[in-house]
Amino acid sequence: MTALALPAPRTAGRRLRWSIGVLAAPITVWLLFFFVAPFLVILWYSFGRKPSLYVTHANDVLSLDRYVEALNPTFLAVFGRTLQISLIGTLLCLVIAFPMAYWMAVKLPARLQGIALALVLVPYWTNFLVRTIGWQIVLSPTSFVADISRGLGLGTPQLLYTPGAVQLGVVYNYLPLMILPLYVTLERLDHRLLEASRDLGANALETFRRVTLPIVMPGIAAGLLLVFVPLMGDYITPSVLGGAAGSMVGQQVATQFNVAQNWALGSAMAIVLMIAILAVVVVFALLFRLVKALVDRHERVAIVEAEA
Amino acid sequence: MTDTAIAAPPADLVADDPGAGRVVLAGVSKLYAKNWAVKSLDLEIAAGEFISLLGPSGCGKTTTLRMIGGFELPDEGEITIGGTAMGTTPPYRRPVNTVFQSYALFPHMSVAKNVAYGLKYAKVPKADIADRVADALGMVRMQHLASRMPAQLSGGQQQRIALARALVNRPAVLLLDEPMSALDRKLREEMQIELKLLQQQLGTTFVFVTHDQEEAMTMSDRIAVMNGGRIEQIGSPAEVYDRPSSAYVAGFIGQQNFFEGTVTGADSTAVAVQVADGAVHATRGGDVAPGAAAVVAVRPESIAVADGPAPDEPNAVTATLMSVSRLGSYLQVVTITASGQKVMARVPWGVEIPATIGATVTCRWPADAPMVYPA
Repeated sequence: MTALALPAPRTAGRRLRWSIGVLAAPITVWLLFFFVAPFLVILWYSFGRKPSLYVTHANDVLSLDRYVEALNPTFLAVFGRTLQISLIGTLLCLVIAFPMAYWMAVKLPARLQGIALALVLVPYWTNFLVRTIGWQIVLSPTSFVADISRGLGLGTPQLLYTPGAVQLGVVYNYLPLMILPLYVTLERLDHRLLEASRDLGANALETFRRVTLPIVMPGIAAGLLLVFVPLMGDYITPSVLGGAAGSMVGQQVATQFNVAQNWALGSAMAIVLMIAILAVVVVFALLFRLVKALVDRHERVAIVEAEA
Repeated sequence: MTDTAIAAPPADLVADDPGAGRVVLAGVSKLYAKNWAVKSLDLEIAAGEFISLLGPSGCGKTTTLRMIGGFELPDEGEITIGGTAMGTTPPYRRPVNTVFQSYALFPHMSVAKNVAYGLKYAKVPKADIADRVADALGMVRMQHLASRMPAQLSGGQQQRIALARALVNRPAVLLLDEPMSALDRKLREEMQIELKLLQQQLGTTFVFVTHDQEEAMTMSDRIAVMNGGRIEQIGSPAEVYDRPSSAYVAGFIGQQNFFEGTVTGADSTAVAVQVADGAVHATRGGDVAPGAAAVVAVRPESIAVADGPAPDEPNAVTATLMSVSRLGSYLQVVTITASGQKVMARVPWGVEIPATIGATVTCRWPADAPMVYPA
């Protein structure tokens, strides 16, 4: 007998698709009105101009001039710093969150996992601004940290209003967004797979590389996206902790909209930011694909599939 | 169903070092949350032996297996495999492989990659890996599924892949942790036979953990019946079935009718016990003294059923016939005595039951059938 009694793959029937369409209608309408439409408006504004001091935007003359204007040296410098803070921040979140999530999901008894999860979530649910201002107090020259530093004869450290303060703030603010998806995938990881790997001769490091990592990779990817994307556009953290030395692109966009009242330029900056985020994500996704393909190639087992 | 068959193993998988598969557990204990999961366990497993650790859940059989595999370390005692004391040797340095209860196939790898997983660490030359994998898959007749993912396989197929993945590494000892518990009965019975044949051809030591006494009886050279972290009895399937050393083993292996009573006489050749419904004379002496409380065990297949009330003689009780049901090649007869004791008999298909339901019958057994144990 060579025929195998495998279940036939479920094909989506017409009725199934219809019902999914109905269920997806509310979110579709929501996204169309509150995401796609505003996005198109911003895109439209970015081709326009600011005609006079008292008018925010006009599209009577369409051009790419606002993009040229946006890519000025000051903006590019801030942009470079934003990219650096975001990439380092995302990486730091991963490095800090992975052991944490692993400990929560694997080492901690089930009854304590809920408590650990709550301890991660409660600060996250606290108002973003309040949390960040909390760090402003800690980092200020009059804080207990500065007092200790002075007590040790190290002088008053300049902590607040530096890129370092922003880096610290974003890692603190976005860490839960990395811990949660990692925890979920690690919690579902079957521990017997790890035992099977060790049983077959792999040590802890090899087991991590060949079993744990590939299985939790979707969680890592989700965490990286959840942290990196909002982090690139963050403007509260740098506003509160960064000062002039630690400003980020989000502030530049906000300034154009709220202070300079130049919606055309602000829109162009926002579009540049979105394209940059997309480009970084695509580049990393391609890099990841390449590495995976190389590893697969390296570990390929070519079997001639003879009929039994 | 040739799809389930296991082919003759390739020559290079056959065990060649006869001493490597010898496992000795000396005074091994394991403490879990202040309870002894395994207590002072002594066990010698010969190389090439098929041994089953049999017992209910919580008896310590899985803990024992995990200690041999290195997943748990004993709190006391020493485990020796192939003459080498294992101590704290991690699982990946032990000459042992495991077939897990849930198979634990790597879901992100194809069947071939699953089977090849351990060969990298066994220092198999890269050029030979594909051949070794093909041989192992051929042995379990799964070569045609090499590029499938585990999720695309049935339970039986997954189990055979797990077997190939373990055996491809040529372990001195193969540990099997209830590998058949997820299979349906028919497939399980087929696999029991295949697995036993495979083990005989390979000559690898198999340590098989199960709570299913039929499974243990079918495959094992020896069965270790475990209870409360200890081995109650160890012996061939025939020994533990015919001469259970305790009431616990008697009850766990096969079916039994238990009668409680008081010993009225005992010497080296026979024991007399007074039970609620009559007297038992057993020619196989138990470790009991006159006047002591005792438990008498009689196998259902030793009991004959006859019409009418029992005469006043030993080894016969009067009962009411409650039900007769056909189970495969035999009839299962259920009766209840005047004292409320259920007595089950098992008679070959074709033997007439000379009574109707509700009639008074006699349940009788030969004097060499009852086993007597201290209560």
